[in-house]
Amino acid sequence: MATRDGPAESATGSQRLEKGTRETLVKVARHGVLLTWSFVVLFPLYWVVSMSLKPPGQANSLPPDWVFLPTVYNYIQLAQRGEFVTAFANSVIMVAASVVLVLLIGVPAAYVLSRWDIPRERDVLVWILSSRMLPPIAVVIPFFVIFRALNLFDTRIGMVIMYVSINLSLVVWVMKAFFDGIPETLEEAARVDGATRFQSFRKVILPAAKPGIFSVAIISFIFAWIELLFGLVLTSFEAVPVTLYVYSFIGSRSIEWGMLAAASTAMIVPVVIFLIAVNKYLAAGLSFGVVIKE
Amino acid sequence: MSTQTQTEAPTKNEPRFARVRDLWNEYLPYWFMAPMVIVMAMITVFPGAYDLYLSLIAEPTLNVLNAEFVGLRNYETAFTRGGAINSFVITITVVASALLLESVLGFVLAALVAGVDSSGAKSFYRVLFIVPMAVAPVSLATIGRIMLNSEIGIIPYVINTATPFAAPAFLSDVPLLTVVLLDTWNWTPFMFIIFYAGLSSVPETLIEASRVDGAPLWRRYLHVIIPYMKPVVFVAMLIRMIDLFRTFGVVYGLTGGGPGTATQLVSINIYEQMFINNQPGVAAAMAVVYLGLVVALANVVIAKVGFEGVWD
Repeated sequence: MATRDGPAESATGSQRLEKGTRETLVKVARHGVLLTWSFVVLFPLYWVVSMSLKPPGQANSLPPDWVFLPTVYNYIQLAQRGEFVTAFANSVIMVAASVVLVLLIGVPAAYVLSRWDIPRERDVLVWILSSRMLPPIAVVIPFFVIFRALNLFDTRIGMVIMYVSINLSLVVWVMKAFFDGIPETLEEAARVDGATRFQSFRKVILPAAKPGIFSVAIISFIFAWIELLFGLVLTSFEAVPVTLYVYSFIGSRSIEWGMLAAASTAMIVPVVIFLIAVNKYLAAGLSFGVVIKE
Repeated sequence: MSTQTQTEAPTKNEPRFARVRDLWNEYLPYWFMAPMVIVMAMITVFPGAYDLYLSLIAEPTLNVLNAEFVGLRNYETAFTRGGAINSFVITITVVASALLLESVLGFVLAALVAGVDSSGAKSFYRVLFIVPMAVAPVSLATIGRIMLNSEIGIIPYVINTATPFAAPAFLSDVPLLTVVLLDTWNWTPFMFIIFYAGLSSVPETLIEASRVDGAPLWRRYLHVIIPYMKPVVFVAMLIRMIDLFRTFGVVYGLTGGGPGTATQLVSINIYEQMFINNQPGVAAAMAVVYLGLVVALANVVIAKVGFEGVWD
């Protein structure tokens, strides 16, 4: 491992005798810190999941009932609320559609930015990044007005457009870095074989860039899935995303804690499982290509 | 030249189709760029221009010609009665402290995990530590509300029973700290995973050389590893900074900007001016200042540190 650090490389030779002891100590300290952080990460998740599985009345008793008979009561209650099911389905559909769309728009553009000499390329890239600098609240006011005028307010299409807008810069940046890493000789070989520009892109470059496309799709999915503000401002009933539904729980005067926990769990668990399944692709995407370019 | 190919020469097909295909291939870069440029213009130029316009008129109107321009009056209102200064101070406090905390914690965790011997334990930590990123800020706010609640929350309960200290009322006594800590829980994974990948890309030979030189651990990090990773550290912090300025959901769900205006981030303030106080001009004025601030800050950072490795 490149960053292996241990006490073994200590400068002074006199400490060599204690090497074994020191190594063990460092190991214990290392795992101590890491396990502590593991606990910090896991405990809130454990708490909300266990709360969602507790029968009503036991949900918020203190001292907590560490042992309880799990029940899916809260989930049944939740599933019986049509609005929750609609909101969840809305989110899945809108977010998935936005990911497909943002890839269709962003990946080809990134390819061009990587392969062609674009005038003032640096400015173009900063401009693209600047779309991510715009605070969503500054973006959402103009869109609120224009969506009303164009009848896009409270529609899934409108929300898909907004989700595309938050992820496009990310897709272009990450994919440009990925394409930069694919040797041009690959395409040249295909061109020599008679492939057109588009064919060489589709049959040679896209397959080579698959890991990048995959990672950027995951990240786009997450960023769209967790977005609250657009739903808050640009939807009212039809296209409400699940984030807004969870929020509306807190807004109500008396909070049904058990159901709130169930709704939060329903929103978190699928994404966590998904994230764990694809974790090896994440780093490449998140780092905007800087890491893989070394 | 190899003739074995999966594609036919275009001239063999009907000529009209071939013509279209030629145009498609001839101008491929333009077709590929066009949708992106259109969408980018739509989401950058249009909102910026519209916010600016809205901030200069008395009442919002779709008819530009009918607008009654009021100059900088909305800006004046934003800064005198709109609490803009307070919001900017709070936002910068949150951004700076969360950025610092998440960077340091992310780096330390990445370095510790990278040094774990057993590959099983290593991948366990690596996977576990990215999990909080999957939690939407609004869900985090609900978790925070559940766990920090003075009456039913487990955390105040543990503090009160297990330590001699009395738990603060997190959401009303230390709301800003609570926001920063929750964001740290949520987004340290982002820094962790980038730094971890960055650490893995430091060449073995470089570390070996400094080992031979007898450099102690901290010196090795300070003078060899971190300088090598500079582009990674810089890009990670820039992206996180930009995203921290977007913070909305966790605060909106946790405190709604309160108590009073204690956690009223600029984004919350603009939202309230627009949709609660019904003052689109004042909201837009704040949005314009905010936009200018974030874009300027990011550009200063980009210009100062450069983007080595991103473009050549």
